[in-house]
Amino acid sequence: MLTIRDNLLETIRGGKPDRFVNQYEYLDIILEAPLKTSPKRGETITNEWGITFSWPQDQIGHFPVHDEEHRLLKDITKWREIVKAPSVQYPDERWAAAVNHAAAVDRRDKYVTVFFAPGIFEMCHHLMGMEDAMMSFYEEPECLHELIDYLVDYEIRYAKEIIPRLKPNALFHHDDWGGQIASFFSPEMFAEFFVAPYKKLYGFWKDNGIELIVHHSDSYAANLVPHMIDIGIDIWQGVMTTNNTPELIKQYGDRIAFMGDIDSGAVDTMDWKAEVIAEHVEKACTRCGSRAFIPCLTQGLGISSFPGVYDETSRAIERMSGRMFPRP
Amino acid sequence: MSNIAAVRQLVETGKTKLIAAATAEALKEGAAATEILEAMIDAMGVVGEKFSTGAIFVPEMLIAAKAMSKGVEVLKPHLAGKSATSLGTCVIGTVKGDLHDIGKNLVAMMLESAGFTVVDLGVDVPAEKFIAAIGDDVKLVACSGLLTTTMPAMRDTVAAIKSSAASHIKVLVGGAPVTSEFAREIGADGSAPDAGSAVVRAKELLKAA
Repeated sequence: MLTIRDNLLETIRGGKPDRFVNQYEYLDIILEAPLKTSPKRGETITNEWGITFSWPQDQIGHFPVHDEEHRLLKDITKWREIVKAPSVQYPDERWAAAVNHAAAVDRRDKYVTVFFAPGIFEMCHHLMGMEDAMMSFYEEPECLHELIDYLVDYEIRYAKEIIPRLKPNALFHHDDWGGQIASFFSPEMFAEFFVAPYKKLYGFWKDNGIELIVHHSDSYAANLVPHMIDIGIDIWQGVMTTNNTPELIKQYGDRIAFMGDIDSGAVDTMDWKAEVIAEHVEKACTRCGSRAFIPCLTQGLGISSFPGVYDETSRAIERMSGRMFPRP
Repeated sequence: MSNIAAVRQLVETGKTKLIAAATAEALKEGAAATEILEAMIDAMGVVGEKFSTGAIFVPEMLIAAKAMSKGVEVLKPHLAGKSATSLGTCVIGTVKGDLHDIGKNLVAMMLESAGFTVVDLGVDVPAEKFIAAIGDDVKLVACSGLLTTTMPAMRDTVAAIKSSAASHIKVLVGGAPVTSEFAREIGADGSAPDAGSAVVRAKELLKAA
């Protein structure tokens, strides 16, 4: 039986895995690393950037608050005066839990993984709201380029702090680039604003010990896959069924792997049922196969919104491994 | 290119910094404000259609709507009392328990660009609030929802409207998990998969009323 790590490599390199890679099993994500403050359920907070986030009791996640009172950046031409990146210098005690966690990982089996969110586009719309962020592509492209460069610089400074401490082998990086049926922007616009910054970012991480870039976008983004390959993404996590994952694997599976195809929205519900999860897992595994594919909920961490769904999904994948990888 | 054609082109291509001057120029040259407005509405129809077919994306649609809005600002003083292009009032909101507003905002913007007067109730809107907002001039209610978990709230909202005194008002539903089958099942009059189609469907519903 292959190790988790070797089984992953066989899967994404077109080799011979002996079972499905089961969701996030190959990533040991070091969530203890200091990065940003997020609200807990029921809280509203203003984070280190000055962005207000709220997590109402009855919701499954938190949102940036963008009413007139709370939207941080109301005029992108003034971004230099308004947007102040927080310090990336944290005292040793803030790093201690992360360092201990990383040290305890068996690197022969799993990847010590840095978590970074929000990504560049997400940060732009967290700062100014989705509509303004999208209109600035057209109205103030130079300012947007400058702001993006500033965000890239911040992430690289953060990388310089975390890399020597954790010596990570993988990066799990969020940036949602679409809704459920379409990307937010055209491939041409993505090329103009994001390809060079992401090449710089992911290039930096890879030049400094990161072997695997796993990018999360739980959306449609099939039209952006050539750019994903270009900027150095190894695994696109969050690929929704609307992307036609089998076709993506056929077309690009020799250059990028796909992780997802089990839509969280369809199975991760308050009244979830094991048989519904099993049905979705079976469909994903049979239509996608094991080459360049990791069956996974589209959720952007190894968790579920409702207790039990993630583990039940893992069990269903394990059963599909038993069926589709018969042992001699 | 005629002045009106130029305005239409500027809306379609989202030239927010040029539209005001072009609109003023068209008025100066003698074009009627209502005629210019019709051209803008037509342009937004083209934008909506291109969005529905995937030829353009959200930023292009947003910027076109902003261009139109800037052009309409110039037209406003010349449109006073002329309501020939108004299609009626539409009440719109994201259903209770759902805080997603982007899709709802896009639909609101496109409906407005098409000539509707839009009353935007925001997000997390309970059924009672939708009903309370339905005044005499309201022709349409549009309910949005992104989460599968809030589909029951959408069902409840449609049921509440249809069993209220406003049961004759057309109800349009939309959002990623909403299918035409689901819309029919919950008693909505129509559904739309995107903001461009929402306008087309809204007009169809009013025509059929």
